[in-house]
Amino acid sequence: MTGPKTPEAPDPQVAQAAIEYCYAQGWSDGLPLVPASEPLVAKFLATTSQDPDEVIGEIEQVGRTCTVYLAAVNAAMAGCLPEYFPVVLAAFDALMRERAARGGGWQSTSGPAPMIVVNGPVRHELGFNTAGGAFGPGFRPNATIPRAVGLIVRNAFGIRPHVLEQATQGLPGRWSICLAENEEESPWPPFAADGGLPAGTSAVSATLLRTCEFVDNRHTPDPEHVLTDIADTISRTGSLIFKDTSAGVVLCPEHAQLLAGAGFGKQDVQAWLLEHCGRTGADLRRVGKNGLRGSARFADPDDTEDDDLFSRILPSPRHVPIVVAGARNAAISMVVRVFGEWSGTATKIKTIGNERGRVPAPVTR
Amino acid sequence: MAYPILDPTGTVTKAKASVRAPRRRDLRGATVGLLVNTKQNAAPFLGEVGRLLAERYGATGTMARTKVNFAAPAPADLVKEMAASCDVIITGIGDCGSCSASAVADGIAFEAAGLPAAAICSDAFRVTADAMAELRGAPGYPYATTPHPVAVLTPDQVKERAAQVLGDVVALITEPG
Repeated sequence: MTGPKTPEAPDPQVAQAAIEYCYAQGWSDGLPLVPASEPLVAKFLATTSQDPDEVIGEIEQVGRTCTVYLAAVNAAMAGCLPEYFPVVLAAFDALMRERAARGGGWQSTSGPAPMIVVNGPVRHELGFNTAGGAFGPGFRPNATIPRAVGLIVRNAFGIRPHVLEQATQGLPGRWSICLAENEEESPWPPFAADGGLPAGTSAVSATLLRTCEFVDNRHTPDPEHVLTDIADTISRTGSLIFKDTSAGVVLCPEHAQLLAGAGFGKQDVQAWLLEHCGRTGADLRRVGKNGLRGSARFADPDDTEDDDLFSRILPSPRHVPIVVAGARNAAISMVVRVFGEWSGTATKIKTIGNERGRVPAPVTR
Repeated sequence: MAYPILDPTGTVTKAKASVRAPRRRDLRGATVGLLVNTKQNAAPFLGEVGRLLAERYGATGTMARTKVNFAAPAPADLVKEMAASCDVIITGIGDCGSCSASAVADGIAFEAAGLPAAAICSDAFRVTADAMAELRGAPGYPYATTPHPVAVLTPDQVKERAAQVLGDVVALITEPG
């Protein structure tokens, strides 16, 4: 069998053997890995001023840590380009600020997924998808950066499915949600500004999700219709397990612009949802979530609460973060169900020689 | 082509091998420490185990403490406080991904503090409990199990379960001479 062959084309059999070697070591999340070598990992380490031995994460209960070096090996294996590495480090830092991720989140039966939100010039410098198909797939930085996080959890922390990882069903897209906010078509300041960083900063925010649920509402000009539809999804009883809940809204540009056009700022949207998201006593009783033991909901046979009493579920604006992402081609938004609660912070992406959060343009290969 | 493929797991820091505390011959006169992890039904379950240990095995008292963060092992000062006042420890209920592993880690921590301990886990979490025991340098550390699920049990069913697991608990913390 003959075919076109360029002189530099690598030997596929060698590549296949290397991929199978990685599978055999138990390093893979199920998909093929890029076998990492010292020269490749050196390129990753060259993108940061952080020491390779610096510990960037610890899961105390399993006695494991992750260093910059191990993060680089896993990022390389995930298929990241070296210039993505500062984003991986910032995303990991952002995640380790989340109480749920430091605690038992990676081991949890709920099998939560990290959601990473990227803001600032880095989005275009590294070729992130900032438009249609925001939840993926199809774009290398959006796909490989969250995968790197998953490999770090698996390999550096040693939290593997069926062993220390006890997800009952998990969720689609566990290691693949990395949104670059559509700042160009958002009527509001970037999400990183809500996390405390000035607009124009290349930054990452992250939290853990239990699922994503779409809200398709494209045949009304009335902002209250849209908000009521979103509130209904947020208030779904199946997701209510504690007194308080947290749900982000990833608005498509069309919904965001419709709301802004009607005079809603981001805080107004949050305030509206705080007021309108919740369930009545009768609703909660029907699903066995009428009682509270501590903060956990349970079926309380002795509860005498009023059937009509409306219990609100979002305690603060931080519990309903708002991101704008996707294409402006349809009025379809997403409710993202936060595991625990978002820390409310954004992390600046730090690169060598540029502490202002700008990343050099990618090297052409 | 002289480069090895790099290992992404790092050096595993092996916890130092744990010590199993000496067992009591029996529970007469013992103060039983109950470390409750806040999972649904954990408090009544352990409470009933404590009551039965007093009623049937001669334990003289219980001291219940609640672990605020069920996902993490008990803080060192809590282990110290309970170790100072108790003779044996019952911990649980390991009924989730992180808390089952933690319940076993707590048992091992109390053993190191000199107290025989019995962790109680739901049987759906054996693999993760065993993995934690290995991480803590105590591969094969024995613990008691109760059938999954625990959270949905009625108060009467919780009492039945406590009675069912009682023999295993006693066997874990005593060694009749």
